[in-house]
Amino acid sequence: MIIGEQKPLEEIKNLVAEYERILVLGCGTCVTVCFAGGEKEVGILASSLRMATRIDGQEKVIDEATVQRQCEWEFLDAVKAEVESHDLVLSMACGIGVQAIVERFPDARAAPAVNTTFLGLPEEHGLWTERCAACGNCLLDLTAGICPIARCAKSLLNGPCGGSQQGKCEIDPEVPCAWQLIYDRLKAQGRLDRLLEITPARDWSTSRHGGPRRLLREDLRIE
Amino acid sequence: MGDCHYLEGNVRAERRVAYVKGLLDKIGLGSDRLEMHFISSAMGREFAQLTTGMTERMREFGPSPLRERKTSS
Repeated sequence: MIIGEQKPLEEIKNLVAEYERILVLGCGTCVTVCFAGGEKEVGILASSLRMATRIDGQEKVIDEATVQRQCEWEFLDAVKAEVESHDLVLSMACGIGVQAIVERFPDARAAPAVNTTFLGLPEEHGLWTERCAACGNCLLDLTAGICPIARCAKSLLNGPCGGSQQGKCEIDPEVPCAWQLIYDRLKAQGRLDRLLEITPARDWSTSRHGGPRRLLREDLRIE
Repeated sequence: MGDCHYLEGNVRAERRVAYVKGLLDKIGLGSDRLEMHFISSAMGREFAQLTTGMTERMREFGPSPLRERKTSS
């Protein structure tokens, strides 16, 4: 899922400072699951802003709404009236949601209350870690299901490097070395011979290096 | 700690109270307006002392800044 983290309240106060009617808009999908921008977080942020701005002597209208997904037009259309009746949409979705708002409602002003951090999973309660870099050319079959693009600091295709120490990455003793993980899993599966194969330099044009990406499926088009 | 009818519930509650105290500071209300204490249902005297103490501290803080603004406007 997309993982996000709410911005500091002080930064959000600055984002809304020049506006009087603010709609705090949550998203019911990824950011709900990672506790960054779902209905509950919308309620907490809206209440916090009401109190904080009032203490600062500002009288603002701060309303709340949450849609199932901010990244799809039909769900956004459900809050068209609310968006149009406010000066600012303070989006608690990922960066896709914020952009979807201004694409769907060209006159709307939108600001992000959440920093979109990475694509990952909840390893345990309260801990999320990165798993996918959305590089557009998945090679997990070669690496025992562990992504060296997202989880190796150098995105090495033939690791580990010399910075792998006691199974951890030299950048941070909390970060597992992805290639150590790959080695351990291949060994447990009796497939260490896989490491004798050299993975050639890859074509990075499917990743961000090729510019903004686009996916078109003619079979799904209706016009 | 951890010696709770709800098992480790008080440990989790303490972390959440710490989060809310941080939020109250950022809002400007002040984290001192929220306190957490660990007492059992058999500790009536301690409960009375804590609530009396907190009431006195709240009097010193004065009215909530939110209430002050409402009254003055």
